[in-house]
Amino acid sequence: MGYAKPLPRINGDNQPFWEGCRDHELRFQKCAACGHVRHPPSLVCPQCLGRDGQWIVSAGAGRIFSYAVYHVAFHEGFKPDVPYVVALVDLDEGPRLLTNIVGCAPGDVFCDMPVRVIWEDVTPEISLPKFTPVDRS
Amino acid sequence: MLESGLCRYVLLSYGHNALSSDSMFTMLTAFSGDDAVFGHFGATGGYALAARRAMHEFNTGPQTWKHIAVGQRSWANLNPQAVMYQKPMTFDDYLAARYVVAPLRLPDNCLVNDGGRAVILTTLERAADLKHPPAVILGLGQHNPSTQVAQSGTLVGSTGARKAFETATSMAGITRDDIDACQIYDCFTYTVEVTLQDYGFFGPGEGEHWFSGGTIAPGGRMPVNTSGGQLSEAYYMGLTPLSEAAMQLMGRCEARQLGPATRTKAPRIILVSDNGAVLQTHTCCILGRI
Repeated sequence: MGYAKPLPRINGDNQPFWEGCRDHELRFQKCAACGHVRHPPSLVCPQCLGRDGQWIVSAGAGRIFSYAVYHVAFHEGFKPDVPYVVALVDLDEGPRLLTNIVGCAPGDVFCDMPVRVIWEDVTPEISLPKFTPVDRS
Repeated sequence: MLESGLCRYVLLSYGHNALSSDSMFTMLTAFSGDDAVFGHFGATGGYALAARRAMHEFNTGPQTWKHIAVGQRSWANLNPQAVMYQKPMTFDDYLAARYVVAPLRLPDNCLVNDGGRAVILTTLERAADLKHPPAVILGLGQHNPSTQVAQSGTLVGSTGARKAFETATSMAGITRDDIDACQIYDCFTYTVEVTLQDYGFFGPGEGEHWFSGGTIAPGGRMPVNTSGGQLSEAYYMGLTPLSEAAMQLMGRCEARQLGPATRTKAPRIILVSDNGAVLQTHTCCILGRI
């Protein structure tokens, strides 16, 4: 049976990001002019409109800015997952990523919780960056 | 257009078969873009993220929002056109309701319904001999601080409401104390809280205290969303609050009419808000009787 959930739509801007994910690397653009690290990928820096920059690899650690617990599946593919957690994660390098929190009961998630990236390989081309609580032991 | 004489009337209208078709869902799903990859769809999820962060930063949550949901429902129970006209709701009903996307429960969400609403604008000269006294636009303000939800810096305030309010009240030449009632864009209960908070009616975290005791309900000192609003009357986008403010100032609201009928102050000035995306765009309009 194939993967039943929506897949990202790859375009010229986000292709390097999703190629990085396939290799289990979180890649973000860093502006050469002002140093701002941005997401989603874009042609120019939203802070200074600079066009030059480079792709950096994130260490994959951050904190939960906020989270929402879906008790309703708005898409067939998510029906087996409810209740599931969608979160905004602030990476240590700066960008904020919309993602899922996994490996943790929804009731145990909290704002500012330290998390790290964990990869879900959903097709040969696509791996999704999801996050799980940092083991504090 | 009216002032320059290009036209005599402007019709603002909205109609949608949102309940009997799948068009609203289709629109909200398209709006999700690649967030759908992670199961993030529509408006409820985005506002749930905003509301959850607000709960972390200041005192808010279901104990605040229940006053908004129940207060507005009590207005809808006076409005035969409201979807929830014959459906009273208590605090216990609210707290027992199922979650859609936590922390938002079903009654924290606006309605999905079929229907429409319209408002006609014309000049003061033309309005002079109409059947009802007109609701006059005294001030307008707009502020749109963010364009991308995940990168938004305004989810817990201040939203665009703050600057929009300053512009609108300054244009109208009024202060907060002159406002007799509010018609707030209420896609979710939390939207009402953060909007009134940014308008300066109370400080962050003081909403629970401000709303308690029926402040916004019939008989309250600051009536809010007197048709039942989008939560309990019907969802017509910005025309739900705008049309209700105009109707109240024209004196056309019957059982829910502000004034002696509802043990409230007869209104001279009503504030109207509109809000877009996830707290990213905001318009404030001051309507009054002159």
